[in-house]
Amino acid sequence: MGAAASPEAELGPVRPAAGRAFRRWTMAGAFLAPTIVLLVAIAGFPLAYNLYNSFLHLVLTEPGTERFVGLANYRQLVASGDFLQPFIRTSFFTLVSVALEFVAGLGLALIMHRRFWGRGLVRAAVLVPWAVPTVVSGMLWKNMFDPGSGFVDWGLGALHLPGATTAWLNGVWTSWTVILVADAWKNTPFLALILLAGLQVIPDDLYEQARIDGAGVLRRFRHVTLPMLKPAVLVALIFRTLSAFLIFDVIYVITGGGPGSATETLSYVNWRAFLVETNFGYGGAISVALTLIALLIALVYMRVLRLET
Amino acid sequence: MVVTRRLAAALLGGSMLFLAACGSGGGTSGPVSIVFATQGLGAEGDASKKAVADFNKANPGIHVSILTLSPTANNAYQQLTQRFIAGSDTPDVITSDVIWPATFAKSGWILPLDRFHLNTGDFFAGQLKSGTYQGKLYAVPWFINAEGVYYRTDLVSSPPTSPQQLVQEAKAVMSSNPSIKTGFAFEGAKYEGVVTAFLNVLGGFGGSLDPSKIDSPENVQALTYLKNLIYQDHVSPPAVTSWQESNVQDQWLSGQAAFAMNWPYIFQLSEKAGSAVQGKTGWIPFPSSTGTPMSALGGDDLVINARSKHPDAAWKFIQYLTSPSVQIQRAIGAGDPPAVKSAYTQQLYSQAPYYRQEQAVFNVVEPRPVSPVYPQISEVLQTQLNAALTNQTSPEQALAAAQQQINGIVHGSGG
Repeated sequence: MGAAASPEAELGPVRPAAGRAFRRWTMAGAFLAPTIVLLVAIAGFPLAYNLYNSFLHLVLTEPGTERFVGLANYRQLVASGDFLQPFIRTSFFTLVSVALEFVAGLGLALIMHRRFWGRGLVRAAVLVPWAVPTVVSGMLWKNMFDPGSGFVDWGLGALHLPGATTAWLNGVWTSWTVILVADAWKNTPFLALILLAGLQVIPDDLYEQARIDGAGVLRRFRHVTLPMLKPAVLVALIFRTLSAFLIFDVIYVITGGGPGSATETLSYVNWRAFLVETNFGYGGAISVALTLIALLIALVYMRVLRLET
Repeated sequence: MVVTRRLAAALLGGSMLFLAACGSGGGTSGPVSIVFATQGLGAEGDASKKAVADFNKANPGIHVSILTLSPTANNAYQQLTQRFIAGSDTPDVITSDVIWPATFAKSGWILPLDRFHLNTGDFFAGQLKSGTYQGKLYAVPWFINAEGVYYRTDLVSSPPTSPQQLVQEAKAVMSSNPSIKTGFAFEGAKYEGVVTAFLNVLGGFGGSLDPSKIDSPENVQALTYLKNLIYQDHVSPPAVTSWQESNVQDQWLSGQAAFAMNWPYIFQLSEKAGSAVQGKTGWIPFPSSTGTPMSALGGDDLVINARSKHPDAAWKFIQYLTSPSVQIQRAIGAGDPPAVKSAYTQQLYSQAPYYRQEQAVFNVVEPRPVSPVYPQISEVLQTQLNAALTNQTSPEQALAAAQQQINGIVHGSGG
C-alpha cells in the first residue's frame, strides 16, 4: 500500500509543474488499466450480475416469466432445507479434510526436507496425485473401493481384517470415508509442497543455535520450526479451506450426493439449482451465500495472518 | 482522439464482417442448408454420417451438415439449451432424448409437428407419448430403447412370470452354482438409472410413475421388493446401491449374474463370439403377476428448432431418417432398435435375430413422466429411491417425501 504513494513522494519538493505528476499518474493508470479491466470483467461483473439475478425469478426453461422477486429466493433457500443440512455437511467435510491433509502434508514436508538419497525423485513423485484431474482420481478411488473388483476390500480380506465385504457407498459414514480418502490423496501433496517451501527458508543458524542451547528434536520443532513455518501454514490453510468448502467434483463423481442426500454439499446443491433446474435466480442466491461464506473464511484467516506476522 | 477514431473504425469494420458472415447463410440461391445436431461417436456416429451423405446425394436441393453433440446426455442437453436460449436458428433438426421434448416444447424452443400429419400408427405407442405435450406432437421417434431383464437360459428353466418367481429362481441358481455371485443385478445408484429400474419393477405390482401417485401402495410395494432383494432375499449385493448400467453390464457379461436389468445393447454384446454368456441369453420385460408388465422407455426422438428457417427441408430429412430401410441400416450398423414398427422384418432378423425377442419388450414401453419439470422430478426420485435402497429410510417414508417434494415442483411451475 505504501508503494502506491511513493511516486508522488519521490518528486519531492521540486514539483515543477502539476503536469509531471499528472503524467505520472496517467502512466500508472495506463499500466494498471488492463489488470483492472480484467478483474472487473472476470470477477466484478459476474459477481454483480449474479447478485442481481438472485433477486429475480429467472428460470431458463420458462421464457417470459422473469420478474423481480426481492428476497424470495433467499427465503426459499432457508425454508427448503437446501441450506442448513448441506452447510453442516460441508463444514464437517472442510474441518476433517483440512485437518487430515494438513497433518499428512506436514509429515511429508518434514520427510522431504531431510537429506536422503533420491530426494529429488521423491519430491517429484509426491506431486503426481496433485497433477491427476480430480474426475480421474475420483473414478480411480471409486473403483478401488468397489466391493467386487476393488483393491480395498480385497486387501482387507487378504490381511484378515474386518470390513472385507463392506459395500462402501451403501452407508453414510463409509461414503464419507471414500470421499475423504480420495480428496486427501489428491490434495495432501499441495499442502506438502507449500510447507516444504516454508521449511526451506528457515535459516540453519537457528537450529544450530537451539542445538547449542541444548534443545532436543521436539523442542527445536516446537520453538523453531513451528513459529518460523507459520506464514506458510496460513497460506496453505487458507487455500485448502476455501477449496474444501467449495467441494463438488469428488462428490459428483463418487457418490452423486448419495446415499440418498447424505453427501450433498452446498456446491452440489448449487450445481443442481443451476444446471438441473436451470433456475438462475435460486442458484444465484445459493452462490451469493457461498461467496459470503468464502469471504468470511478469508477474512478470518487474513486477520490471523496479520496478527501473527 | 486519433485512437478513438481508429478504434471506432476497427469496430465498425469488424461488425460489418460479422454481419456479412451471418448473412451468407440466408441466401436464396443454391441448395437449402440445414444443420442436424446429433451424437457423433463410434458406430452410431458412422451410421449418422452415412445416412446424411445418402440423403444429400438423393436430395440435391437440400444440404444437411452435422453438428456433433456430446455423447453424455446431460452435456448434450446443456449444449442444446444454450443455443435455444441464445435464439439460434440452427441446428434445424435435433436429436432429443425421450425425456426432453416436454421441456423444450414448454419453453417454445421446438416446433409443433401437427401440420406435417405424421402417420402415428407406424410407431410404438409408448414412444409417441414421450413426444406429445399438451395434446400436440412435438417429436418423431428415431430409435427406441427399453429396459428389460436378461436371464441365463442355461440356468433358468423357464423365464419367471411374477416378481416373486424371479427371486425364487435367482436363489435356486445361486445355491446350485457357486460361480453365480449375483442373483439379480440392477442399477441402484443415485442417478437417472435408478428411476428407470424402479419404473420397470412398477409394472410387476401395477404401480405407475404418475407424478400425482408416487406414494401409491403399489409403488411402495415395488420399492419394498427392490429393497428386500438386498437385505432380506440376499439375491442382490449391497453394492447395487452404487451400481450404474456399466456395473450391471460387467456382472452380466462376465457370467456372474443369473438375472440382470439392462438395455438392449447388451444383447448384441452377449451374442458376440467369446462372450461368457453367448447363446445363453434371454430377455424379457420385468415380469408381472398383477398388472401388465412395463419397461422403461429410452431412446431418441427427432425435433425441429422453432426458429429454423427451413422447417420443410427439416421435415423431409426426418422422414428420410424414419423410413424403414434407413432404420434397418442403422439397426444393423449401430445396434439402435428401429422406432418404426414396419422395420421389424425378415431382413432385420436374418442379420440380428435378437431383435425378434426385443420387440416383446418394446411393445410394453412406458415413458417416464412427460413433464417440462421432469429433470427436477427425477432428481427427487433419484435421491429418495437411493435413500430407501441404502436403508436410510423406509420405502413408505421415501415415497411420501418424494410425493411432497414433487407436488411442490409441479405446483410451483404452474403445470
